[in-house]
Parts: sequence; structure tokens; C-alpha cells
Amino acid sequence: MMTPQEEQEKLLEEALTVVRTQSFQMKRCLDKSKLMDGLKHASNMLSELRTSLLSPKSYYELYMAISDELCHLETYLLDEFSKGRKVTDLYELVQYAGNIIPRLYLLITVGVVYIKSNELSRKDILKDLVEMCRGVQHPLRGLFLRNYLLQCTKNVLPDAEEDAEGGEVSVMSHAAPRAIAGLNKMVNSSDADAGTVRDSIDFIQLNFAEMNKLWVRMQHQGHSRDREKREQERRELRILVGTNLVRLSQLECVDVEKYKKLVLPGVLEQVVSCKDAIAQEYLMECVIQVFPDEYHLQTLNSFLQACADLHPDVNVKNVIIALIDRLAQFSHKGDVARTIPTEIQLFDIFSQQISLIIQNRPDMPPEDIVSLQVALINLALKCYPTKLDYVDKVLETTEEIFHRLNLDHLNASGAVSRELMRLMKIPVDNYNNVLELLKLEHYGPLMEYFDYQARKSMSIHLILNALENETSIPSPEQVEGILSLVGPLIQDQTDQPEKEDEEDFVEEQGYMGRFIQLLSGATTDQQYLILNTARKHFGNGGNRRIRHTLPAIVFAAYRLALKYYEFREEDEKWEKKCQKIFQFCHQTIGALIKAELAELPLRLFLQGALVISQMEFENHETVAYEFMSQAFTLYEDEISDSKAQLAAITLIISTFEKISCFGEESHEPLRTQCALAASKLLKKPDQCRGVTTCSHMFWSGKSRDGGGKEMRDGKRVMECLKKAGRIANQCMDKSVQVQLYVEILNSHIYFYEKGCSEIQITTLNELIAKIQEDIPNLESNDESDQINKHFANTIAHLKLAKQQSSPNYSYAGLDV
Amino acid sequence: MLVLVLGDLHIPHRSSSVPAKFKKLLVPGKIQHILCTGNLCTKESFDYLKTLASDIHVVRGDFDENMSYPELKVVTVGQFRIGLCHGHQVVPWDDTESLALIQRQLDVDILITGHTHKFQAFEHEEKFYINPGSITGAYSPLDSKVAPSFVLLDIQQSTVIAYVYQLVGEEVKVERIEYKKC
Repeated sequence: MMTPQEEQEKLLEEALTVVRTQSFQMKRCLDKSKLMDGLKHASNMLSELRTSLLSPKSYYELYMAISDELCHLETYLLDEFSKGRKVTDLYELVQYAGNIIPRLYLLITVGVVYIKSNELSRKDILKDLVEMCRGVQHPLRGLFLRNYLLQCTKNVLPDAEEDAEGGEVSVMSHAAPRAIAGLNKMVNSSDADAGTVRDSIDFIQLNFAEMNKLWVRMQHQGHSRDREKREQERRELRILVGTNLVRLSQLECVDVEKYKKLVLPGVLEQVVSCKDAIAQEYLMECVIQVFPDEYHLQTLNSFLQACADLHPDVNVKNVIIALIDRLAQFSHKGDVARTIPTEIQLFDIFSQQISLIIQNRPDMPPEDIVSLQVALINLALKCYPTKLDYVDKVLETTEEIFHRLNLDHLNASGAVSRELMRLMKIPVDNYNNVLELLKLEHYGPLMEYFDYQARKSMSIHLILNALENETSIPSPEQVEGILSLVGPLIQDQTDQPEKEDEEDFVEEQGYMGRFIQLLSGATTDQQYLILNTARKHFGNGGNRRIRHTLPAIVFAAYRLALKYYEFREEDEKWEKKCQKIFQFCHQTIGALIKAELAELPLRLFLQGALVISQMEFENHETVAYEFMSQAFTLYEDEISDSKAQLAAITLIISTFEKISCFGEESHEPLRTQCALAASKLLKKPDQCRGVTTCSHMFWSGKSRDGGGKEMRDGKRVMECLKKAGRIANQCMDKSVQVQLYVEILNSHIYFYEKGCSEIQITTLNELIAKIQEDIPNLESNDESDQINKHFANTIAHLKLAKQQSSPNYSYAGLDV
Repeated sequence: MLVLVLGDLHIPHRSSSVPAKFKKLLVPGKIQHILCTGNLCTKESFDYLKTLASDIHVVRGDFDENMSYPELKVVTVGQFRIGLCHGHQVVPWDDTESLALIQRQLDVDILITGHTHKFQAFEHEEKFYINPGSITGAYSPLDSKVAPSFVLLDIQQSTVIAYVYQLVGEEVKVERIEYKKC
């Protein structure tokens, strides 16, 4: 038992064998100039095409093999004719072939030879041939026969405007399958009527209409259970029908006027009236592909009207989108953007026609409706890039449709949501400027139709676009606008899920922090309003969000204050404005404290104090003091981890050392607090180091009363270092102790070389001796190695310094 | 051997991103080590550094979210011991002698610190001190004019060539400083 595939292969092979044999015989006869015998063999060969057993694919192969052989016959005849050896009435002779298939193939072959040899009227022959083919009404055989007609006449179709020569034109009689009588009336001379392009158009239109009818008829052949297979076979044959349209497009004398009047109407009529979905969908797309875009521009209304009349099963959306995309491309080809002629209101035409189509198809799925809007918006952006209102119109239409269909809260994984997201992303990606989106009235409202997932996704897309393009936001209204569009990133939404991925969340809030860097008011006053607006929005984010976003606002405020200070000559109100800013910062940092943060607010207060100290506005000392004491309060009340405490107090001291705006009244209590806090650290080594750090406050710290000069209080410095030494003595771990001694020694060296006269050489010598005594007793390990190296480096430095002379100090008497 | 030295990004608190002109220069696969002075401040920046090289060393800055970064670190590259510290812990800030204290303690040939957002590279008592500045040009209360900068170290045997890249206006300017180990 053979499979259907194997059966086909066998049948085809059998047919091809016959073809080979008969064609061989045909060629032998032609070589011996035995035309009639040759034609007999040709006829035998062509009889294989009478089969009903082959599938379209196999039939095609057979057809190709035979066409090749017929070429040989055509060449032979052309050769004979050119040598003047005409065979009289050959055109009639071939019609005596037995069956209609061989008869018509031979007739076509001979007819073309006549045309190429300028025998008889080309116009008449063509008309005759296209009519005669009606004799074959079997869809498959008929399609291939008419295809043969098209292929053979490819280069002989008349393509001229006027008649070549005036000549009597005879009329063909139609219905008769054997048109013998009429032909005799044809003008038989070299002044043959060549025909005009109109004749070609008629020829092809008729061939096209007949082929389409045959093609559509295939749909209804056979059993309903084989429908899918039939439709597949139909699709395999579609190019045969499409070739007619290709041929029409190749006629050079068809200009846009002829296309409008003679070509398109006929084609559209055939397409619409055949009422077959497969044919309509293919042929409409074929028209778009095959004819130039300039023609489409001039015939939009008729084309789109036809679209509205297509069978409901036709995916008209794909047809329209193919057309729109082509026209959008067309306006962008090459270096110079070709503008659409202004008489053609492209956008309006498509907009209206698409509305009509949607109205006529109440079953069109919403995602398809949105796809059409996507095509429209692309058209607007590509062909009319400056017309924002077109884009807004598309959005408005979409909103109306959603409203009409009662769509809401679209599921992010659904087709409609995905199409809508495509639509909404297009303006973002096209303008690369989120500020332009704010001009689209309907953009925001349309966002509300998404569900949470999709709204968040869109928000992220918007913010990332702003970040990538470094889009500055220059006004509070625009800040308001954008932050309103990206709600899911700003604050909790009513429809958001219980749990979200933590890493993703942090990353998204990072984007918002970075976005705050883009807020850049046109003026300093604008920037202040902007920061206020932003603060309002971000403040609604809840404790989870503000830790990521408010710090950026605080820093932006600090920068703004410095700006006001820089341009204080030009603004008499600058002092009041700066006071307001620091109030704003104080309150903003306060919000972070309420969210149970401590280390971050502490650092923000310290940063603030640094800024304030540089700006001499009215009572800035008080404000700076307030910021420092807030930092202290956080330190005392909220920071309990000992490592964190050491880090925090070191930071407080090092910040304080840089602040020079405090009078002694303020400077003294702060110094005292620092020293106290350092000495109260839990672990002895931390205490030791903390106290050592305090010494710097007394040396290079500056109070306003000192006129901006370093305090250089050597006495207090020594007190600190001595205290540090005492604390080090209390350490039980010997290697930690020695390590601390080396550090304290280095601190002594630091201040000695800065010119602190309270430090004696004897003290240094004592320290050095103590360390030299203790170091050998340490257990040999990595730690003690480090201590050794540290000490060795210190001694090396002292040796070097002793040799060099300096105005600040002398190491004479040092034991190294 | 190429070592990328950078820090004080302050993303997202004070800056949005590494300047595009710098990003173009920092091509993955060319750099062997990255030494970061800290203040990234978030994982996003660390992930970006990971795309540039596989060996990354970060020390804790005062605004880093990741509290597990060490305060001090020593890395050996070729013949050089390199010390890394953010610098906010070193009092007073930006004082050569106080940095020298750290250099002696860590026993390093090169000491890299940050915090001031100001590029520096100098020799002091035959040791090399580098501050790569802020690669994003982040705001600093200590300095009103911060230009984005970073440093690329080319370490060959006992010589280090430091290439400092600075973004001045729209232009990237490069300077070359040499240091030889004694």
C-alpha cells in the first residue's frame, strides 16, 4: 500500500516519462522538418496535462517540464517564419488537435509565434486566445492554461498609447470555442494592428477575472471535510492569479490616470464581487505590493471603500496595516523626506475609513482595533511628525472605543493590553522627550485602562526613556504631569498585589532617585517650586519608598541653596529663600526619621550643616547648630550598634572639624559633646581611637571667634592623646594594645610636625621605647606582622624627617 | 595590567549615571581589576562595575547602602601593594599627613582615597597617593566645581602609569603621570 505522497510521485514520474519520450520524438520530427508529425507528438505530450489525478504541486512540476519543451517548438516555428517558410493556416491547423487541452496550449504557442512574426493582428490574436481559454472550466487545469497564456505573452503585450498604424480592426466573435470563421477576416499584412495599452489592460483584466473565478470555484469542490486541505492547495496556487496583477504593473504606458480609471476599478470590482475571503485577502495585499506608492496615494478612497466591503472573514486589519506601513515608509525613503502632496489628507482619509471599517465589523476583536490605531499613529508620526494633534486624535479615538466597548482594567497578559502598550510606547520612543507626552491630552486618561502590571510597566518605560535621553524637566507643572503619569512608581495603588519582588522594587525606586536628578528648573525660583512639587508626590510613597527618593530631593535642595548663595548679588530675597530651603530639608529629613531610619538622616543633617556653614545668611549659625544637634540626637537615641556608633561619631567629628561658622558659644558645647561621646564608646579600642580623633577638633577646628583661623589648642590636643594612651593601657589584648600605641605615636608625630609645641621629644622617645619593648613579646602571626611593618614604616619616616630640616619642628634628640 | 580606579558615584542620591562619554571608553574585557573608593551607593552601580571586570574591590563610603564593605583594604597587583580607603574616616579630610598615617599603617606603595570628589595624584615620601575624584561629577559640599573623573593604572613591573580622564565641558581630557617603585 503506497502513501498518498508515494502515489503522487509515481503518477508524476509516469507522466514525465511520457513527456520525455514524446518530446524526444517531437524534436526528431522537427529536425527533419516534419511539422505535422512534430505537432502530433506535442499533442501527445500535452495530453498528460488532462489528468485529474495530480495534486497542484505535482501538476505544477509536470506543467513546467512541458512548458520547457514547448519553448523548443516555439523557437522552431519562429525560425521557420523568419526564413519565410510560413505554414499556411497553421493557426487553424492546430485547432484540429483532438482534445481541448492540447489544442489550446498549441494554439497559444502558435498565436505567440504569429505575433512575434508580425503575422495577423496582434490585438486580435490576443483577444482570441484569452476568450478561447474559457473552454477549460476545470479550476486546476484552467489556472495553469491561463498562466501559460500570461507567460508566453509576457513580452508581446502592446504597450503604446496610440494605434501603431491605422488599420481596419475586426471584431471577434465571442462564444464559439473554435473561432475559425472570424479569423479569416483578419487583416493579413504587415500593417497589422498592433494594439494599444488599453488592449493589454483589457486582455489582462479578462484573464484575471476568469482565473479568479476558477480559483474561487476550487473552494467549493469536493467534500466539506477536505476543506482545510483545499484551502491549503488554493494558497499554493495564489501566485498564478497574482501574476495578472504583476503583468498589469509592468505595462509602462499605464500612468496614474490610467491606473485610476482603467486598472484599479476593474480589479477591485472582481475582488469584491467574488465574495471569497482567501482571494480577497491575497489580492488586496497583492495590489498594495505590486503597484507604486504614488498610485496608492491617488486612489486611497476607492481602495479603502473596497476594504469596507470585503468578506467578514478577511483579516482586513492586515491589509490596511500593510498599506499604511508602505505609505509611511514611502514618505521616508532616501535622504530627503518626501512629503505627501498636501491635497491628499492622508491621515484624515485613513482615520475616517478605518472608523467605517470598524463600524461595519462589529465582531472585530478589540486587539485588532487597537492594531489599526497603532498603524494610524505610525502614519501620523512618520508622515506628519510636527502634528501632535494627529497623535492625540488616535489616542482619543482609542479611548472612545474602549469606553464604547466597556473595556476596563485590561489584563496585562491579554492581547488587548499588549496592543495598547505597543500603541502607548510609540510616542515615547518616537519623541524621546517625555515632555512632549504631556501635550497629548488623552495619554494620561488612556493609561487608566491598564491593570496594575501594565501601568507599572509603562511607567518604567517612561522613566527609563527620560533617563536615557537625559531629559531635563524645567517647570513644576511638567513635574506634576510626569509624576502623575507614573503613579505605580510613586505610591501604593489600590490594585497592586500583596507582595512584589524586593530586588525589582529597589531597582525601580533607584530609577526614581535618578529621575530626581533630571529636575532642573529654568530659574532658581522655579527649581524651588519643582522640589516642593516633587516632595509632595514622593512623600506619598510611604516608608518603603521615601528612603530611596527623599535623599535625592534633599541633596537637590542643598545644591539649590548654594546656587542662591552664588547669585546672591542679584536677588535681595536670597537669605529668606535659603532659610525656607533649609526648613524644607529639615522637614524632609524628619520624614525619614519618622520612617524609623537613623543613619541616613544623621548623614543628611551633617551634609546640611556643611552647606549652611558656607553661606552667611541671617542666623545661619543657629540653623547649622540645629542640624548638628539633630545629628547628635539621632546618634544618642537611635544608634546602638557599636561599630555603627564609632563610624557615626567619627563622621560627626570630621564634619564638625570642617565647620567654621560657630561662635565659641556654640562651638564649645559641640566640642564637649563629641569628646564625651567618644569617651563613652563601649569597646576600649574604639574609645581610644575616638578620643584620638577628637584631638583634631582642638587643632584644626575653626570657630568664628578665631577669625577663621585654626584653634591650634595644643594643650587640649595633648590631653586627648594622653587620655588615649591611658585607655590603650587598659586594653587586655596585647597585640591590640601595641597596635594602638603605634597609632598614638603616629598621631603625636602628626601634631608635632604641624608645629604643636606641647609635644616633647621626650614623650616621643618614651613611646618609641615602650613599643620597642613590647613588640618582640607579641605572638608571631599576621596581626603582629602588620604591627611590625607599621612601626618600621613609622621609624623610617622619623629617620627621614630627622635628616631634613623644617621650620615647624626639629627632631634633634630623637632616639631612632 | 590595567586597573580601573574610581568612586563617589553617588547614584541615585546626587547623580543620575556615569557620563556617556566615559561609558563609551570603559569597554568590558580590557580591565583586570577595579578599585572603588566607595559611595556607589546602590547595587545598581555595583552591577554595572561587574560588567566591566570580574575582580572588584570596594571600600565603604559614608553613603553606601551595603554595610558589609570593609573600611580599609589592601590589594597586591604585580609588584605593588595598593591601599584603598574612602577617606571620610581620615581626619582631617584631604590632609596629606593624615593620609600618610594610613599609608604607614597599611604598609602600601600606593594609597587610593576618595571623598573629596577632587582628582589628585602625587608622590609623598616616595609613596604614591591617588584620588580618582567622582566619576559622575557628583555634588560635594566641599567643592563647588566638580568635573567627572576617573583613573586608569597601567602596572608594568615596577612602574605605574596613571592615566587620569577628566570630563571638562563636553571634552574628555587625559593626563599621564608616572610613578616608579623604589
